[in-house]
Amino acid sequence: MSSAAGPDPTEAPEERRFLRALELQPQLPDMGRAELSSNATTSLVQRRKQAWGRQSWLEQIWNTLAVCQSTAEAAALERELLEDYRFGRQQLVELCGHASAVAVTKAFPLPALSRKQRTVLVVCGPEQNGAVGLVCARHLRVFEYEPTIFYPMRSLDLLHRDLTTQCEKMDIPFLSYLPTEVQLINEAYGLVVDAVLGPGVEPGEVGGPCTRALATLKLLSIPLVSLDIPSGWDAETGSDADGLRPDVLVSLAAPKRCAGRFSGRHHFVAGRFVPDDVRRKFALRLPGYTGTDCVAAL
Amino acid sequence: MLGVRTLLGLGLLVAGSRLPRIKSQTIACRWGPTWWGPQRLNSGGRWDSEVMASTAVKYLSQEEAQAVDQELFNEYQFSVDQLMELAGLSCATAIAKAYPPTSMSRSPPTVLVICGPGNNGGDGLVCARHLKLFGYEPTIYYPKRPNKPLFTALVTQCQKMDIPFLGEMPSEPTMIDELYELVVDAIFGFSFKGDVREPFHSILSVLKGLTVPIASIDIPSGAGTQKVGQGWGRLGPYPPDSCPHQV
Repeated sequence: MSSAAGPDPTEAPEERRFLRALELQPQLPDMGRAELSSNATTSLVQRRKQAWGRQSWLEQIWNTLAVCQSTAEAAALERELLEDYRFGRQQLVELCGHASAVAVTKAFPLPALSRKQRTVLVVCGPEQNGAVGLVCARHLRVFEYEPTIFYPMRSLDLLHRDLTTQCEKMDIPFLSYLPTEVQLINEAYGLVVDAVLGPGVEPGEVGGPCTRALATLKLLSIPLVSLDIPSGWDAETGSDADGLRPDVLVSLAAPKRCAGRFSGRHHFVAGRFVPDDVRRKFALRLPGYTGTDCVAAL
Repeated sequence: MLGVRTLLGLGLLVAGSRLPRIKSQTIACRWGPTWWGPQRLNSGGRWDSEVMASTAVKYLSQEEAQAVDQELFNEYQFSVDQLMELAGLSCATAIAKAYPPTSMSRSPPTVLVICGPGNNGGDGLVCARHLKLFGYEPTIYYPKRPNKPLFTALVTQCQKMDIPFLGEMPSEPTMIDELYELVVDAIFGFSFKGDVREPFHSILSVLKGLTVPIASIDIPSGAGTQKVGQGWGRLGPYPPDSCPHQV
């Protein structure tokens, strides 16, 4: 399926290289989609869209009320942690990325996956969400998944650069190019992590390659995990005209307002570092974490 | 367990010493040396069988541990903040697995965290913060605080979370035994060399007399990493319930 603009001849050589790199035809994990076959790819996308539309208006209102954190509140929470509690950004990004990886292991436990299904494509944007994605990829590697990163718009700040070095030194491959043909991604990876846009980041800010990647990911038929908010969603309203429809949403620290409109398979809160006082101050309604878990299912 | 795996991946498994390994007669739990006696976990603690069955965990010398550290900082560009956060989180996780809140007498269980003047102390501060989030009631004793932003920030994080800092160390072991169910020793780490100066010499003397369990971060404080046996002369054997977890 070519992009709307038609096949780009300058992209063709990269696609051929990508095809040669494909060694495996991964089996999709059994996620209750036993009817899935390569021929049914298009209809799965259509079925997914239909399922989303079925969420009743009552459910949508309830979900929006039950979930908190406007973009302004999320920013205020972060400011409180950084300025009053003197957390470092590096600490919080590390905790969020680690917890995101743990959430992935809960949604897609390693023992249930074949070798092919353990391959994970992590798509990182240039802002904080992308940094969390880099940390997530590193921890997935430690957890014995096989991450690959697509990080086309590299931030120059020190945190991003160091996180990139850590991934590179751990032999996590970085794709120089993401094919526009979504079937290539479906065949090469078992799941995709969307760490492109976070709350408050406009799609227009992240540049062409990220935007094109998101367009491709909209047609994905393998599972998609979005970190914090599904990239492209309006963080307040959750209107998702151009956004992704992830199977799993991993809200960082606390769910954002748009998460009320999420109706994929799993919704986790990840990142267990919000002190009780802050939780009360911002009237956060978080699920109870059990034991030493840093991830809780909503 | 996740924390241990994280640090395994980072190559940060650091153990204390080159003390001779006592071959256990029981079914192989090859996790850790057994010089402190048979490892006994409270109810609810169960090590991942994969970890138990893993062959030959390597125990690092002081030089090796420092070399691993240097590699992580210089080659991998990890920051001290990152690794300290992961280490402290992993320690809190290990402690919570060994001493789950449900197995302790008080609710929430009270823990005394003693933090030394270096990075081991920083690990202890992070550990205390996560223990609080896990439902414990930590108290910190942190007599010698480096004047560096990393450590002052970690102290602030703990203070803002209402974790009390003791003004002085209880002078009698029984006082600690009465108030706390567990002590976390975050005094000295693997880079410790030389003599133990005050106030830590007195602190270690008090800890020697404890009956409540002690969990040491990285190595039991005062245990010599290179000289076999010498460290143990100073600190003495831990009570059998303690788990000097090498995380």
